[in-house]
Amino acid sequence: MRALVPAIVTVLVLLTVPTVGPTLAATAADTLVYVADISDMISLDPAVAYEFSGILVAQNTYDTLVAFEGEDLTTLKPRLAQSWKITDAGSSWKVTFTLRSGVKFSTGRPLTAKAVAFSFDRVIALNKSPAFLFKDVAGLKEGDTRAIDDRTVEVTLPKTASPQGFLSVLTFTVGAVVDPDEAMAHQSGTDRGEAWLRNHSAGTGPYVLERWDTESRAVLTANPNYWGPKPRLTRIVIQHVPESSTQKFMVESGDADIAANLTPEQARELSAKPNVKVQKGGLLQLVYVGMNAKHPPLDKVQVREAIRWSIDYDGIVRSLLRGEARKVQTIIPEGLFGFNSAAPFQQNVARAKALLREAGVPNGFSVELLVPTGPAPGGVKWSDLAAKLQSDLARVGIKVSIKETAQAQLLNIYRAQKGQMVMILWGPDFPDPDGNATPFSDYAAKSIAWRNQYEDATAAALAKRAALEPDAAKRRTLYRQLTDRLLHQGPYVILYQPTTRFALRSGVQGFVWNPMAFAEFRTVGK
Amino acid sequence: MSRYILGRIASTGLVLLGVSVLTFFIAHVVPADPVLVALGEHAREDQIAAYRKAYGLDRPVPEQFIVYLGRVVRGDLGTSIRTRRPVGEDLREFMPATIELGGAAWLVALLLGIPAGILSAVYKDRIFDHLSRLGALIGASLPVFWLGLVLLGLFYYRLGWFPGPGRLDVALSPPPLRTGLLLFDAALARDGAVLRNALGHLVLPALTLGLFSTAVIARMTRSAMLEVLYQDYIRTARAKGLQERRVIVLHALKNAMIPTLTIVGISFGSLLSGAVLTETVFAWPGLGRYATASAISLDFPAVMGVTLVVALLYTLVNLGVDLVYARLDPRVRYE
Repeated sequence: MRALVPAIVTVLVLLTVPTVGPTLAATAADTLVYVADISDMISLDPAVAYEFSGILVAQNTYDTLVAFEGEDLTTLKPRLAQSWKITDAGSSWKVTFTLRSGVKFSTGRPLTAKAVAFSFDRVIALNKSPAFLFKDVAGLKEGDTRAIDDRTVEVTLPKTASPQGFLSVLTFTVGAVVDPDEAMAHQSGTDRGEAWLRNHSAGTGPYVLERWDTESRAVLTANPNYWGPKPRLTRIVIQHVPESSTQKFMVESGDADIAANLTPEQARELSAKPNVKVQKGGLLQLVYVGMNAKHPPLDKVQVREAIRWSIDYDGIVRSLLRGEARKVQTIIPEGLFGFNSAAPFQQNVARAKALLREAGVPNGFSVELLVPTGPAPGGVKWSDLAAKLQSDLARVGIKVSIKETAQAQLLNIYRAQKGQMVMILWGPDFPDPDGNATPFSDYAAKSIAWRNQYEDATAAALAKRAALEPDAAKRRTLYRQLTDRLLHQGPYVILYQPTTRFALRSGVQGFVWNPMAFAEFRTVGK
Repeated sequence: MSRYILGRIASTGLVLLGVSVLTFFIAHVVPADPVLVALGEHAREDQIAAYRKAYGLDRPVPEQFIVYLGRVVRGDLGTSIRTRRPVGEDLREFMPATIELGGAAWLVALLLGIPAGILSAVYKDRIFDHLSRLGALIGASLPVFWLGLVLLGLFYYRLGWFPGPGRLDVALSPPPLRTGLLLFDAALARDGAVLRNALGHLVLPALTLGLFSTAVIARMTRSAMLEVLYQDYIRTARAKGLQERRVIVLHALKNAMIPTLTIVGISFGSLLSGAVLTETVFAWPGLGRYATASAISLDFPAVMGVTLVVALLYTLVNLGVDLVYARLDPRVRYE
């Protein structure tokens, strides 16, 4: 029996004594460790990736012809294309790009116009999640992208597509240029290298994918053939850490340089620590309430306007979201071209009641509000937001019954036009105002306007004209008209535009979050 | 004996069939659409229809089940809606991490639970017994998720005794993939640094996951030992003048092990369910994380695959336990 006691003590000691010594105080000087929940990473092929973490990697391993840099999504910058021009060819648009000279892929092969045509056609042929941006938004078919010579690419767009919208689409990873020889060398069946590019890279970007271990980490190393300024750090480790408390521990202890998924409380706590700083990042999402324009009395413009005048927007941003959002009331988010800063609504009970009287419902009415379960963008629970709306609307006599339901189920109801009031979020698919304007305005697009049974021919026509307008100044005017119209006529209460937050070790510099939900690591140093 | 084993293996087939029927139909009565989850809010009706067709989700549920079953029999678990890869491939990738973690946790539970239970029984109502019972009560009541965060906060963040989340430090590269079990692969590659580091990474999650089972095993061992220690044959053994250690280890423990073994087998199930939370806290790339992510995305093929594999493992472990009974107790005969 006595022998058992030392055995147990030995086991206990073995389990509690350090096996590897204290953890390192900091990550290696040439390495950036970025911790995030990357469970959505399913492919790193730019023609396939349509998830946040896959895009984050692809944006750093590939280049696009044009780009929006940093936080600015309104000014197109040259990237692989030195210059471009849009010409009206009568029955179509021609967009001609002149490629930068001297650019090489990470494989050492030169970038050519043929590679661009191959990459664009590849997206269309593979027809994966992001392909709709080329096929539907830009109306592209295989063969519409042609190499005129080694450095000139011409894309033919149908007149129904927006050339400006197409350029915005090209800033996204779907427009990334892949080394055709490398992709085809690894072709399996007719997949144009898709299986291989799932976890390998063949781009011109500042980094090369060294390895990706699913649900574990993706490691990027600096591309020795990169054409631009040398990246400041040679190694980027994107480490999968799903739990935000664990992310917080890691960034505090120096095992991580950047933590991406902190709750607002954790971020506040960390901002008081000496070695950590907290940085906000913009997002293009809008949290809104859709009102079914065919459901009485929501079919009356005055009732919808009364609801907009009943809500305490500042209170939502200040108290519920603790400043983790911006007050935005028009359908194009701040940061995108065509953003309209008009935000006339603030809680005004008298005005809301007067509008209800005008609409013939002086005593208010009952309505059902559908909300998703779980957290809403900005770190508040959907149900808390709904409760706030319920109490705000009660003050003007509108009795809201809240129905909380899983988002997938909510979408089923919403898509079937069966919601009365639905609270949900929307983010554009590509950084162009048309990513919001058409869904919110055009009933025929079978998107948000359709779900809320909002048929407004004027709004739909404005959205179409604005999308197709190649002249920036005229386009801006059209979006102004459209957003002003929907602000008062539309069936929406835009509640807020959320922001996100990152914790960075104090030495980390140059980290800029692009509101399309990625960062370019080449500018990050420490 | 071999007939018994064959019979059990055949009944395992029936268990798996039952599990797959239940899981399949439960998954299909969930009032939500996996296609909408996969394609997102922006998807158009024609894309949804094409996706539904591609995954056979446009057919009646019983037909889908029969097609599914036919494929499973041929060893094809289908394609995951979320990762868009064959489920079998996903399972092969995530399984080893969970086996490593579950195995380590099981070891923790056995190495701590059984001795603690024996000592508790031998020193009944003395200070060790009180402490051990209190420990077992706490161990059985602590939520795994909370415990994981506390251990991580204390031993990794505050004291720096153990490495943080994940299976390996960021600075180290995993050894060439052979079994997927990092410890084995590191040993095969003779990579001492990776082996040590991987062991260090394993300690906190294994303790977190193993503590509940430790508590349950300790309590069961104690009560089984107490029952045995007051039997006549023990008194006889003592009267014969046998050393107390021999009495306890050879005579008492062997018989007390039968109920304990049952618990050890059952605790395998709690290890698998606990793995879901432990893997989340410790960023452990295993089956638990895969199962959660799949369930959230309503990824039916993946959920079915995980359920089948877990059910298979569970029945095999319990078959193993039943066979060990026969070794421990000559009265147990399998015909």
